[in-house]
Amino acid sequence: MNRFALLSLYRSLVRHKLYAALNIGGLAVGIAVFLVLSLYVRFETGYEKWLPGHDRLYLAEEYWDMPGSPANGYSTGTMGGLIDQLREDFPDTVGTRIQAMDANVVRGGTATSETFAYADANFLDIVRLPIVAGDAARALQAPDNVLISETIAKRYFPGTNPIGQTMTLTAIGKTANYRVAGIFRDLPPDTELSYSILAKTPNPHPDKMWFHWGSSRVWTILRFDTPQDAARLQEKMRAFVDRRGAKDQGPSIKNLSLKITPLTQIHLQTTPGRKMTVATLGIVGVLTLLIAIVNYVNLATARAGLRAREVAMRKVLGAGRDVLVRQFLGEALLVALLSALGGLILAELGLPMINAAGGLTLSLDYAVVLPGLALLALVVGGLAGLYPALLLSRFPAAAVLASSRSPGGGRAGARVREMLVVFQFALAIAFMIGTVVLIAQTRHVRNTDVGFRRDGLVIVSSTADGAVTEPQLTAFMARAAALPGVRSVTTSDSSPGSSSFNSDSYAVPGKPEPGPSLQAIIVSSNFFPTFGLKLIAGRLPDDAHRADDSRNATGPGPNVINVVINREGVRALGFSSPEAALGKTVGRTNPRMIIGVVENARFFSPRDPVNPTMYYYQSRFSTIPRTTLRVEGDPRETIAALRAIWRQIAPQVPFEAKTANQNMDEYYKVDDRTTRLFGIGAGLAVLIGCVGLWGLASFNTQRRVKEIGIRKTLGASATDIVKLLVGQFLRPVLIANLVAWPLAYVAMRAWLAGFDDRVSLSPLYFAGATMLALAIAVLTVLGQSLRASRAAPAWALRHD
Amino acid sequence: MIRLEGIQRRYVSDEVETTALHDIDLHVAAGEFLAIMGPSGCGKSTLLNTLGTVDRPTGGRYLFGDRDLAAMGEKELARFRAETLGFVFQSFNLIDELTIEENVALGLAYRGDVGDRRGRVAAAMDKVGIAHRARHFPHQLSGGQQQRAAIARAIVGDPKLILADEPTGNLDTANGEQVMNILIGLNDAGATIVMVTHSPSHADFAKRRIDMLDGRIVASAMRAI
Repeated sequence: MNRFALLSLYRSLVRHKLYAALNIGGLAVGIAVFLVLSLYVRFETGYEKWLPGHDRLYLAEEYWDMPGSPANGYSTGTMGGLIDQLREDFPDTVGTRIQAMDANVVRGGTATSETFAYADANFLDIVRLPIVAGDAARALQAPDNVLISETIAKRYFPGTNPIGQTMTLTAIGKTANYRVAGIFRDLPPDTELSYSILAKTPNPHPDKMWFHWGSSRVWTILRFDTPQDAARLQEKMRAFVDRRGAKDQGPSIKNLSLKITPLTQIHLQTTPGRKMTVATLGIVGVLTLLIAIVNYVNLATARAGLRAREVAMRKVLGAGRDVLVRQFLGEALLVALLSALGGLILAELGLPMINAAGGLTLSLDYAVVLPGLALLALVVGGLAGLYPALLLSRFPAAAVLASSRSPGGGRAGARVREMLVVFQFALAIAFMIGTVVLIAQTRHVRNTDVGFRRDGLVIVSSTADGAVTEPQLTAFMARAAALPGVRSVTTSDSSPGSSSFNSDSYAVPGKPEPGPSLQAIIVSSNFFPTFGLKLIAGRLPDDAHRADDSRNATGPGPNVINVVINREGVRALGFSSPEAALGKTVGRTNPRMIIGVVENARFFSPRDPVNPTMYYYQSRFSTIPRTTLRVEGDPRETIAALRAIWRQIAPQVPFEAKTANQNMDEYYKVDDRTTRLFGIGAGLAVLIGCVGLWGLASFNTQRRVKEIGIRKTLGASATDIVKLLVGQFLRPVLIANLVAWPLAYVAMRAWLAGFDDRVSLSPLYFAGATMLALAIAVLTVLGQSLRASRAAPAWALRHD
Repeated sequence: MIRLEGIQRRYVSDEVETTALHDIDLHVAAGEFLAIMGPSGCGKSTLLNTLGTVDRPTGGRYLFGDRDLAAMGEKELARFRAETLGFVFQSFNLIDELTIEENVALGLAYRGDVGDRRGRVAAAMDKVGIAHRARHFPHQLSGGQQQRAAIARAIVGDPKLILADEPTGNLDTANGEQVMNILIGLNDAGATIVMVTHSPSHADFAKRRIDMLDGRIVASAMRAI
């Protein structure tokens, strides 16, 4: 580009300010959306990459292939003793383990819950946490040492050196004093290793289930020098699981596999749907950028006609086609660079909002962003500039100069532009449909009937802490029940939002063993009325029937216990109806007689199927359960009152209570966040599309001024002209629907397939998005069409 | 048929006021062929545009038959143009994206029910000898052919008044003659024509000629028969 080319670009931008703003602004918004969503994708796919040697670390995962069973699918946890058995069978195994849990730090008689983990003595050799004080090599050697994060150090030892000082911790119900042996830098947000206190794994471990295959206790982390080494061990896993697991689990071990997965991939697996979310938002980012590029091409080619004379003059003055191509490509690159700069500014301004909407902590790392952005500008400029450059440089100079009219790319150019508008609006409409479906789904899961009355339920999880004694629990429940507004109190070992549970197989007479697997929930008095669970057949357990209480099943030999199952349990056990299940006994070694059937209750994520469930009744608790209260009025007041009671009864255990809705929120958060980010991306994509349509309409109208004049002299009214101009843009928008509908249908069906409880893909979403797109398109071009239709024909005819 | 009384047309831009027409009084009878002459910028085209209602006078009265056009709204004027007028321009003003046939049919597009549209379009093209080019686009035709197509478009609706703005201005002599002969034929068949021209020889085809200068009619003469 020579000086004159630069000058003419500068003057052209200044002279056509609106065009420049639309072009640069549209591209800048596209780049900003792409940038922010790239940051998000990079963040989500970059977990554990901060860890030195992360590419050599793998996690042993359990996979239960038991469709229909509550245990079906992946678990990142393995049994505690897996690494020991691996070392016995494969002596060159390098690995460690870590068991995460909450622990209470006791200080001045009250306790605070902190994230805590037991790690093996060699943990820091393999997972090299950033140690800032203390001796990393020996920190986890002694059983009474702890390693703490900088935040913990500041919180509990402000203004002093924590090394060598004592901390009192309660973990797994046991309180002990520990010596601070080291401090590590706070771990970054992109990690699943979110611990703030580490202590050495007890050896031997007191857990009776430590060597129980299929249990999920610890993360077993393995280190391999090469991916081939990992693959080699993976090949030996089937035989290893069969050999070792069969001793413990019997033939059902066939359903269990061990999978060695790179540690960096674990994050995307831990929450159902996360992989899909990241992929979806990545695609939204790329497509939005594509829409913006299409926009640029559209506007540039539309304007090409207006620059025909300039091009012709340059040719007459001796510019070759290659020079012109270079000039226009150079222009596109410069505009792309300006847009990239604008995009960067927009992204920086928009990030706080995006972070708030998505619950994220994204920030721009300029060392990565700037070169990336330069490359992006190069690619975008090249992509966006090539077609207009070739088109413009092709104009025949003599014909353009001799003719009073300006070529605009002719019929072919118009067709390409119309196709681009179709493409742009197809994506925009698909985005709109997607947004509507996402919103409908996130609303649905919040408002749908989950099988229990979720409003007015308060769940106290502190009562499940191992340090709480039975007298403390009894006292707490009695005082809680007496609080004003509390209608009923109950306990259960599973409640909305607590995703860990037990399951067992029950043989059904006349069917192959071991039979279907059902989730077991132990409940106490008032459980069913407190939750509002609907009885659909039979009766609920009570104290009048001795066999109703599972604590009475203590005699020699199998005792028949009365149980209640849910509707899904009826289906899993193969009964034809809830009534047909009544009085039937299932389980050969663990016989259970079904006395009642209740409606399905969705305690867990809407993505997971409702488990077939068996409710065991206990008038008094054998395990220490969570407590649930049904309250009237403001639950916050009840929680405050409960906290006060708790402090008097069990001050050594931190108080934690939430409403059922707050607990369930955890399941909705990821999808809510996706919906918001998707909505923002889609909204901006639609906006860019509109900017493009507006720009295109404006240039097309300008090009057709003379035609409009002719039509008016022939008697066309203003309404005829508006119809003509608006109709011209409605056609591509209508065609865009033909592309958008199947696209959105396939994408949304795949998205919804991730939910067990989902909305159906109503045609209304599609029709609604189409109407919206049409309305937006009409509004976008209406103003200009009206103005054009009102212009005096005599003026229009003089116009060229 | 047409009576202009004290027609004025002023253009006001930022700081300059230009008067294109000063108190024009003009009467055009039905069946007349009137030529308007004068140097560039004298107001010929403005007068023609005013007659064609595509430009509105800033003063005076424009009576067409017994209708006062100054009192009409945009919508009525559009209908008036569609039903009553035919335009022929120097630069043809055919729509590039439409074929000749479609361009001619455009002359009926904004009228209500006109009966056999196809037949009328074919007849109009026939009348000016352009029927064999019906499927072509304007840029595939010579200037003379384009102007004949434009005339076909002007006459397809049987207008009471044909307004021609330098219809031969962009044509060579032979094509110019051809176009003039078509106009004369139309006039002989009863059409009223008002034509702006620079060419004295073409003005001689008209039954009456007026000369303009600086927005005024300075001379009016009947052709000697």
